[in-house]
Amino acid sequence: MHAIKQIMIKEFRQIKRDRAMLAIIFVMPVVQLVILGYVISSEVKYIDTMIIDLDNSAMSRAIRQGVDQSVYFDLVQVSDRYRDGAPAIDRGEVKIALVLPHDMSQKISQGEKTRIQILVDGQDSNTSTIGLGYLNGLLIDYFKTISPAGVNPKALPLELTPVRIDTEMRNWYNPNLDYSDYMIPGIAAFLLTIVTSLLSAMGLVREREIGTLEQLSVTPIRKHQLLIGKIIPFAILGFIELTVALAFAKLWYDIPMRGNLGILAIFSMVYLITTLGIGLLVSASARTQQQALFMTWFFMVYALLMSGFIFPIENMPRFAQWISYLNPLRYFLVVIREIFIKDATVVHLYQQGIILLIFGVVIFTFATMKFQQRMS
Amino acid sequence: MFKRITAIIHKEVIHILRDPRSLIIIFVMPIFMIILFGYAITFDVKNVQIGILDQDRSVLSRELVSNFSHSDYFSITAWPATRDDIITLINHRRVKAVIVIPPNFAENITRTKNSEVQVIVDGSNANTAIIVRNYTSMLINDFSFSMNTRNGLPVDISPRIYYNPELESTDYIVPGLVAVLMMMICAMLTSITIVREKETGSMEQILVSPIRSGEIILGKVIPYIFLGFLVACVVVGFGLVVFGVPFRGNALFLILFSFIYIYASLSLGVFISTQASTQQVALMLSLVGTLLPSVLLSGFVFPVFAMPPFLQVLSYLVPARYYLTIIRGIMLKGVGPSLLWQPVLLLFIFGTVLIIISMKRFQSKLEA
Repeated sequence: MHAIKQIMIKEFRQIKRDRAMLAIIFVMPVVQLVILGYVISSEVKYIDTMIIDLDNSAMSRAIRQGVDQSVYFDLVQVSDRYRDGAPAIDRGEVKIALVLPHDMSQKISQGEKTRIQILVDGQDSNTSTIGLGYLNGLLIDYFKTISPAGVNPKALPLELTPVRIDTEMRNWYNPNLDYSDYMIPGIAAFLLTIVTSLLSAMGLVREREIGTLEQLSVTPIRKHQLLIGKIIPFAILGFIELTVALAFAKLWYDIPMRGNLGILAIFSMVYLITTLGIGLLVSASARTQQQALFMTWFFMVYALLMSGFIFPIENMPRFAQWISYLNPLRYFLVVIREIFIKDATVVHLYQQGIILLIFGVVIFTFATMKFQQRMS
Repeated sequence: MFKRITAIIHKEVIHILRDPRSLIIIFVMPIFMIILFGYAITFDVKNVQIGILDQDRSVLSRELVSNFSHSDYFSITAWPATRDDIITLINHRRVKAVIVIPPNFAENITRTKNSEVQVIVDGSNANTAIIVRNYTSMLINDFSFSMNTRNGLPVDISPRIYYNPELESTDYIVPGLVAVLMMMICAMLTSITIVREKETGSMEQILVSPIRSGEIILGKVIPYIFLGFLVACVVVGFGLVVFGVPFRGNALFLILFSFIYIYASLSLGVFISTQASTQQVALMLSLVGTLLPSVLLSGFVFPVFAMPPFLQVLSYLVPARYYLTIIRGIMLKGVGPSLLWQPVLLLFIFGTVLIIISMKRFQSKLEA
């Protein structure tokens, strides 16, 4: 016990002495929380839009006004020449160009049909699909108020009134579909993953690179004592990081925390076995700090993108979904989100708990074996 | 001067070649990542599982239902009979949304021309929920729109989609991955070159030689420019072959501009290397300083225009933002230098400013 304690004291001293490192460890999560919390959203608004108004009538002006007032579109250019459309999209100045034909109002007032063209920059398929949808809706809403003969629609006989179907949306669990409620707990989980796996990997490789690990191995300290003494400080750091992130979530974003913090702490501890195990595994496989960083980087990007953190797993192709089953963050993410949003307890989460425990035991055992092998 | 720079280059190349393990990691990892994420990163909505409760069972309601069943976005996997069934379905995560067509749906349309459909969405995953919400209202809008054109709504709307008519998100994501991977690999490679010499003590040996600081930095950057370029070729090649991303522009321009991007990324690495005191700090800084900005603030997946203003301003400091405009412009749009000179120039300025600052810092450290 005494040996372990000494190693831990040494380790904390080392962390404390490295000011630059401390800043990275504690400033990084705050910056990430702020930026991530605002950026990550598939809500599409303020799409740069151009209107090519060849008609220039009361009707076309009304449509222009409608687009201008919508939050989804930012009317940045108005032109009266069709040939302006494609170059503006090429230059990336607008994503959508709405073409109102020159005979639009005339044809409509004569009861004829007209054709409206929308030019779309299709590169970002999500933005274009959603933008097109909004624009369609906006046009339909407008033309619903226009009757074929230009008469006030309220005075129209019923058979000429356009059909309107209203959609009533109900969002369960998160009525306003608040993004931050959903994302911030995920960010906290991700931070815990980074700090514990990256720091433990780099810390151990560093000692080997400098040669101090060799010195430690000739002291009477046993291998497992060394291992535990080196790992625990990182676990504690991880917990501090998680606490900072959660406090920030509460104070800055005012995220509702419906569940039990104690349960979250227990699950986090189980999860830490896995992430520290990964750090240990990397440190046993890498020869230099740079290699260790590249390996953890790969793990982090995998953990981040294939966990359902940003990209829903159910949208992925089948084989990618299988690969995501191997991602421990995937399970921990369910745990932390369900505890936050739905007040889930052990009864709802025992499956994730068991899977995380299996992950932890397998990875940690394997890593310890590999580490001991490297040491001797 | 050239002789001294080539000597440093030679030394750095030996360094790189002597560590084949790192070399393998550098080439193999991007390939893994591009394959994995080319498939995994997608906003394309396909076969979202939904349930439908049709309380009307009229010709019209069945028509609306068939709009959903024919759409690629959704697959109808449940037909709840009661409201209680809906609760069970959503609580057990069997469906993402349930569409409820009320009993007098068709009657209301014939009587008042106005009816309502209710959509119940599982909001616990806000991400999916927003997508589901957007697509269901789009389909319902389409439905009333098609009824109206039959009834004489006076317009036809015809979209014309440029660059990516099938609206495939891989075409958009894969070039973006090139930008992110290049940035990270280049910055992480060079971030330790100088600090490593400091840490191992070999810097003092270099200092007593007649080499000037600028020469050391140039000599250290040049080999990585070519290494970075090789990685870029491998990654782009994979994107073209495996994912069939179109290449509409001129390859020569892409090569030329990629060199400038690599130059900017390496400069960032060198800059970090002159600032950091240990390899660990340098590596962490280069990881944190490149991963999040180039994934989140560059427009890689989240459009810059949708961000709050202060983050939009911040995004101008992210080199990946400029390279994304360049590589997407050349590969997807097929545009040339006349439309891309601005981002290219900015990248060049970014790199040069960082290199100059690094040299200054390095010099003052040498003299101290």
